[in-house]
Amino acid sequence: MRGMFLALSTAFAIGLAMPATAQTVGFGDAIKILGASCGKDIETYCKSANLANNEIGKCLDKNQSKISAQCNADRVKVAALLEARFAAQAAAPKICARDAAQKCKGVKAGSGYILRCLLKAQRTVSDKCNEAIDLAGYR
Amino acid sequence: MKIMPFLAAAGVAALLLQVPASAQTKLSRNEIIQSLQGAQNKVDISTDELRKQALENIQKYPGDNASQALPLAAKLAQLRQFVVEITFDFDSARIRPESYETVGIMADALHTPYLLGQKFFVVGHTDAKGDREYNLKLSQRRADAIRDALITTFRVPPEMLEAVGLGEEQLRDPAHPDSEVNRRVQLINVGY
Repeated sequence: MRGMFLALSTAFAIGLAMPATAQTVGFGDAIKILGASCGKDIETYCKSANLANNEIGKCLDKNQSKISAQCNADRVKVAALLEARFAAQAAAPKICARDAAQKCKGVKAGSGYILRCLLKAQRTVSDKCNEAIDLAGYR
Repeated sequence: MKIMPFLAAAGVAALLLQVPASAQTKLSRNEIIQSLQGAQNKVDISTDELRKQALENIQKYPGDNASQALPLAAKLAQLRQFVVEITFDFDSARIRPESYETVGIMADALHTPYLLGQKFFVVGHTDAKGDREYNLKLSQRRADAIRDALITTFRVPPEMLEAVGLGEEQLRDPAHPDSEVNRRVQLINVGY
């Protein structure tokens, strides 16, 4: 059982190292880790920091010698998870550009119209584009 | 013992590898999307007008609690919307760590093509305890804090969100004005 967990956490670590091709997680699931692992330290050391403008990140960074080892490990992990999802979302329209030109002719640009068209056209869209849409968390 | 939380986190990630789109928590991204999507044309309501009406409601109908609904309340109620609960520090706009996930899930929903590019009001409400005008200001600061977190930490396009606080002027349960069910944040789709 433990071996399986370790194998999975290794797969997870590799995922972090290759955000462009590996699975990504949603913002909710990523930031939940920060709340769980750093909640206590945030309440102790970051009483005037809010979840915006990297205030929490900066505060934890400043107090890294005082916060728990778990929080120190996970704050880095969470930042990487968020970045991986941002990167996947930025990449999706580019990776899907060709599919969009073929399958979504005449669809209005912007406001998610083309991505919605690509979601609907899932069966005829290229594997690469479908994968990019999955990684962006758009499905 | 020390290794347990990491293993738990890895377990969550492992689960996601298998079922990326399914709901992992009580609050689900898809539930938010389903409640909010489908708005058609832009609705003619502004946050400035809402703020003005909330303040006028206090001035015109003074008293401990609001006795009248806002003139725009009926129009707002017709729009696609979703209610979330986010906890803050007492008398403060600081989002508590246990609510980070909720804000993250809101961001997950807003980033999807189903909602992307539409405009949403983030509407903050308090319960009826305390001074009405104070509550109005506090709820505005809290709505602002949620918008700030969404547009900075989670990079939701800023033009998609406007924050407004309505204090205790629009209670969810007017029969129990002090009840905590009144403390809430609404996301309201006001169209393209």
